[in-house]
Amino acid sequence: MTDTATTTSSSAATGETLLDISNLSAGYSGVAVIRGVNLHIKSGEVVALLGPNGAGKTTTLLTVSGLLKALEGSVAVLGAPTTFGAPHKTARRGLAHVPEDRSLFFGLTVQENLKLGLRGSRSEQAAGYETALDLLPALKPLMGRRAGLLSGGEQQMLAMARALVGKPKLLLVDEMSLGLAPIIVERLLPIVRDIADNTGAGVLIVEQHVHLALEVADRAYVMSHGEIVLEGAAAELMERRDLLEASYLGGGLEEDA
Amino acid sequence: MTKNILETDGLTVTFGGLNANDSVDLAVPEGTFVGLIGPNGAGKTTFIDAITGYVGMSAGTATFDGEDIGALKPHERAGKGLIRTFQSLELFEDLSVRDNLLVAGYPTKWYTFILDMLHMTPKNQEIEERVDWALDILNLTDVADAMPTDLPHGRRKLVGVARALAAKPKLILLDEPAAGLDTTESTNLGRQLRTFLDHDMSVFLIDHDMGLVLSVCDYIYVLDFGQIIAQGTPAEIREDPAVKAAYLGEQAGEVQAQEADRIRESQQEEVPS
Amino acid sequence: MKELIIALIAGVGAGGLYAMLGAGLVVAFRGSGVINFAHGAVAAYAAYTFDELRENGDVYLPWFDPIPEFGFLKTLRINNLPVKLHLGEDPSTWLAVAVALLMSAFIGLLMHFLVFRPLRNAPTLGKVIGSVGVMLYLSSIIAVNFGGQNRADVGFGGFTTDSPAVEILGGTIPRSNFYLLAAAVVMGAAVWALYRFTRFGISTRAADENEKGAALLGYSPQFIAGANWVLASVLAGAAGVLFIHKTQPALFVLFVVPALGAALFGNLSSVPGATVGGLLIGIAASGGVELADKGWWPAWLPAEGVRNTVPLLVIILILYFRGDKLPIRGSISIGRQPRAPESNNVLIGLGVCVGIAILLSNIFVSSWEAILTTSLLATLFMFSLVVLVGYLGQISLVQFSLAGVAAFTMTRLAADGTKVRPNDFFVNTGWDLPDPLAALGAVIVATIVGLVVGIPALRIRGVQLAVVTLSAVIALEDILIRNTTLLGEGAKSTNPTPEPSWFGQYVGAFNPDTNRTDYWKYTAFLILAVSLVGVAVANLRRGAMGRKFLAVRANERAAAAAGIDVSKTKMLGFGISSAIAGIAGVLFAYKLPAVSSDNFSVFAGLALLAFAYLGGITTIGGAVIGGLLVAGGLSAETLGVHFEDIDVAYINAVGAIGLIINAIVTGGEGIAMLQTDQGKHILAGLRRDPTIAPPDSVLNLTQEEIQGDVEGALV
Ligand SMILES: Nc1ncnc2c1ncn2[C@@H]1O[C@H](COP(=O)(O)OP(=O)(O)OP(=O)(O)O)[C@@H](O)[C@H]1O
Ligand SMILES: Nc1ncnc2c1ncn2[C@@H]1O[C@H](COP(=O)(O)OP(=O)(O)OP(=O)(O)O)[C@@H](O)[C@H]1O
Ligand SMILES: [Mg+2]
Ligand SMILES: [Mg+2]
Repeated sequence: MTDTATTTSSSAATGETLLDISNLSAGYSGVAVIRGVNLHIKSGEVVALLGPNGAGKTTTLLTVSGLLKALEGSVAVLGAPTTFGAPHKTARRGLAHVPEDRSLFFGLTVQENLKLGLRGSRSEQAAGYETALDLLPALKPLMGRRAGLLSGGEQQMLAMARALVGKPKLLLVDEMSLGLAPIIVERLLPIVRDIADNTGAGVLIVEQHVHLALEVADRAYVMSHGEIVLEGAAAELMERRDLLEASYLGGGLEEDA
Repeated sequence: MTKNILETDGLTVTFGGLNANDSVDLAVPEGTFVGLIGPNGAGKTTFIDAITGYVGMSAGTATFDGEDIGALKPHERAGKGLIRTFQSLELFEDLSVRDNLLVAGYPTKWYTFILDMLHMTPKNQEIEERVDWALDILNLTDVADAMPTDLPHGRRKLVGVARALAAKPKLILLDEPAAGLDTTESTNLGRQLRTFLDHDMSVFLIDHDMGLVLSVCDYIYVLDFGQIIAQGTPAEIREDPAVKAAYLGEQAGEVQAQEADRIRESQQEEVPS
Repeated sequence: MKELIIALIAGVGAGGLYAMLGAGLVVAFRGSGVINFAHGAVAAYAAYTFDELRENGDVYLPWFDPIPEFGFLKTLRINNLPVKLHLGEDPSTWLAVAVALLMSAFIGLLMHFLVFRPLRNAPTLGKVIGSVGVMLYLSSIIAVNFGGQNRADVGFGGFTTDSPAVEILGGTIPRSNFYLLAAAVVMGAAVWALYRFTRFGISTRAADENEKGAALLGYSPQFIAGANWVLASVLAGAAGVLFIHKTQPALFVLFVVPALGAALFGNLSSVPGATVGGLLIGIAASGGVELADKGWWPAWLPAEGVRNTVPLLVIILILYFRGDKLPIRGSISIGRQPRAPESNNVLIGLGVCVGIAILLSNIFVSSWEAILTTSLLATLFMFSLVVLVGYLGQISLVQFSLAGVAAFTMTRLAADGTKVRPNDFFVNTGWDLPDPLAALGAVIVATIVGLVVGIPALRIRGVQLAVVTLSAVIALEDILIRNTTLLGEGAKSTNPTPEPSWFGQYVGAFNPDTNRTDYWKYTAFLILAVSLVGVAVANLRRGAMGRKFLAVRANERAAAAAGIDVSKTKMLGFGISSAIAGIAGVLFAYKLPAVSSDNFSVFAGLALLAFAYLGGITTIGGAVIGGLLVAGGLSAETLGVHFEDIDVAYINAVGAIGLIINAIVTGGEGIAMLQTDQGKHILAGLRRDPTIAPPDSVLNLTQEEIQGDVEGALV
């Protein structure tokens, strides 16, 4: 079923496994919308999760952080299984999840939103704060504004920054470029790459801009109709556009496999 | 020269010292497809908010269909055929998709509630058909009875577009309808949006998906820090160095545009076969 | 003038209490989005605990023995739940204070775990009802555990009755008033600092606004909410023991009203605002009463009314002008709303219900007509809530007062000045209109009053509106319904109902010929009214205007974009709802030999709203079920006959527990929803994950169909 383009990935994919999803099924009201998903991320890796609308990408991420219940299979985050219903515990272990709806606190200011993302000792907090703002300088003049008043893209940047200030060990970003200007997307993707390279964090990004994502990712998984239909090194997938497009069209897999 | 369905002159919106829109002069000729792009926080949504009455203008005028609309309330502007969608969805979450559209389409008078109570509200065939058409054109017919919250994000956006269509717009203002759509879907959306022009309306589009914007618009304005920094045809905008520096980036915009071009081509090959 | 100034200064005493209670209300609201109507009751329980401990050395836990000593149950006294603990003969004052505060903290924890945590995803109204339930429960438990006796505790420390008076401008003011002021300021400042300077404070606001977001950042929303409940309750307890020397603890329960005014002054979210607001209300009230003593004061405006309403009116005005006609971008959503499906087969459902009801009551109780009509009246009234709260989403607590307005107006319009009943010492003079016209006039008056009361709703939303309308209830009650000058001595006694006759048919419940109650024509008349209004309200939901109501309820910004005039739509809803409430009020009056202000009390109105909510506030069926549930209605009476010798306080406590459990079990959707498909999912969802939405029709497609769709979409 799964079409594996085997290669060793470019960078440090040798570290410890930060996320290990095996044979996962999950969904809503007891009906599975993702089935038999296997996915793993190692320290220092950037992994893209691609696929057409409604494929089940968001569902996968929600299950990882414990907001949805796994119907079958298991998810291990940073060495421990996630507990459904207690996402805060997983978060405290070092998982940062930027959900599709951002979940910003509209009633709080930008600064307060960021403050809530801080973790660790006072100096670590200060450092995290600095780096996040350096990476997303557009937020600097907005510190005192209520998050609800921000423009769509500014909210998106705030959500990213709020995840980054906590120096996560594993970062999940759902629809990272949603509502962002192309130039910002272009800057943000290398930043994500740098974070993985410099801090050894694992990153999972869900992206609609396939080619931009593949340029920075080490590996990618493609989902369709709730299953992983394609996985492999980013560089190889770039070459095999035909395979990629086939999975986006929802058909074509059988002939290729 | 055709008449302008929408025209703003020196439109300015201020939020406590910040000029979110700074003397914006913009025109949408009747029957055309006009785009507005610009960096995040440039003031694009604010522009729509201002001409639809959701925020006050601190200076300038807005003329719709030959009439100064500056003093009208939001629902009055909607009643004249100036219909918007929202960047942040804002659907009626506890109405079904179809009812979302019907709310927008059905005219009511003050005494409608009496007819309602007697179950005598006349069924408005024209509007029911319009709603069906709007659902169809955005591929939502199969989820007409679903609740919006049960749909994936991309499709919820389309419900917003369909709702605007059902309200019989003369000018439809779309705020990032393609956000969250994959490239194939956004190409399809683009094709549908072009067909709006055949139904007696003009279209005004905001989006960050260059594949969409550059391929569907007749004319594009570029906003930065509340001011228009460039305007022209898609081809001109695509090459404009100022726009590249402020918005498109070295390659991101170009990559998106090319990818969309390719998908369109490959689909054109498929269709005849 | 001098007296006025003295009165104003003296007002800081009561103001201090309101400020302390207001600060606690803000804490509870921030912590879990709940308007805690039980806040005063917690203060009362703490005060009683303090007093009881000092007097007798006993501590009563906040529950009662479920195996009480009544009737045959006496013989079953096994495994009783401990209620009373004896802590020694003469405990020190400070021990008593500590225990009272601990008791408040304990009550706060119980409230969190047993009531508000299960209700955390319920619609706003569900939380309101939950807190009303807690208030009723605590009041009954106070009655059971501490009895109704007067307590005249002298207080402690500086907070005593005998602390020497301070002389100002020749007048005297108790010293303790200033201590109360100081306590309020200190407490307010401490709480403010806690929220301002600690991560706990910010995360509290964050978790209340977006639980998912907070959890994803590593904060436990449950811990935060629980901690805030404990803090809020301790603040209430402190206010209770500090103020105990001023008045009866039982009265604390009602102080929640001015305290809510104080909290509103702080926009329900600012502790300093609430503190200032509480002090202002205390000062203004004290001054107002002083003024009302003057000769030039208009006699028709009772001092009581001035005291309670003027400060609240000021606050409403402030809120109104601070609000926007449409919510601005990124406003925090006012929360989930219960589903509002269309009702079909209204008449059949209604018929079946009435039939079963008659059958049941025939078997169990003798005077079934009295009980049946109570249920029907309640149902009729609840239709007004279905329109306003269910369809339009405006939480108004004032509708029952409008029924009262209609009832009194009707008696006035129809009275011919001749009718004197043996017990009436007030002879009615009136307009002598024919009964149908008098009824119509009354409904019109209720509608107009309803429209005026609805004006704040144009700019005030959600729970804030609930609190604002609660103050409207108090205002109407004090200024209109209890007003002896306007409505005759009726406030204290009664306004005789005219003998209503419509087109030659006598339709009242009391037959003057036989001088006995004779229900059948009245019952028939009432059933006719309930059916007509019920069908109309159900049809409204299916029509174009009903859809617009739901659209406004769901999202005002989007509604305006769809061409809906939001303000007009809200006004229309208030108008329709008030008219229905008026109809119910008139028919209620027809049942009574005479109308009295006691028939339309604040608590009766709250209880009706609660039962309407439990039945299902969005549907006709819900209103019917709600009608069956009300006290004096069918279910309660049918059950009640078996427990005649039980203390009423126990029944109330059990009722309150039932209310809370119901609010939790129905998940905010109401009992009427449990039989629907969605209801089954609600039940299922309760056992599973709260974030799980009901399944959608898309998912019911087979895989092939989805595949087909996707492919279809791409060609
Ligand atoms: N709350 C929900 N209740 C029921 N079904 C849902 C819910 N959310 C999503 N679904 C369904 O689950 C499937 C997968 O949705 P999911 O949101 O995971 O897709 P996605 O890959 O993230 O899509 P997109 O790119 O549009 O965000 C879809 O068919 C969708 O209809
Ligand atoms: N009510 C308000 N008060 C203060 N600032 C505001 C308000 N509304 C918008 N802003 C600010 O005005 C600026 C313009 O916002 P706008 O939403 O128009 O941007 P945009 O061009 O639509 O951006 P995006 O592409 O990210 O959606 C932003 O910086 C935003 O934070
Ligand atoms: Mg998604
Ligand atoms: Mg925008």
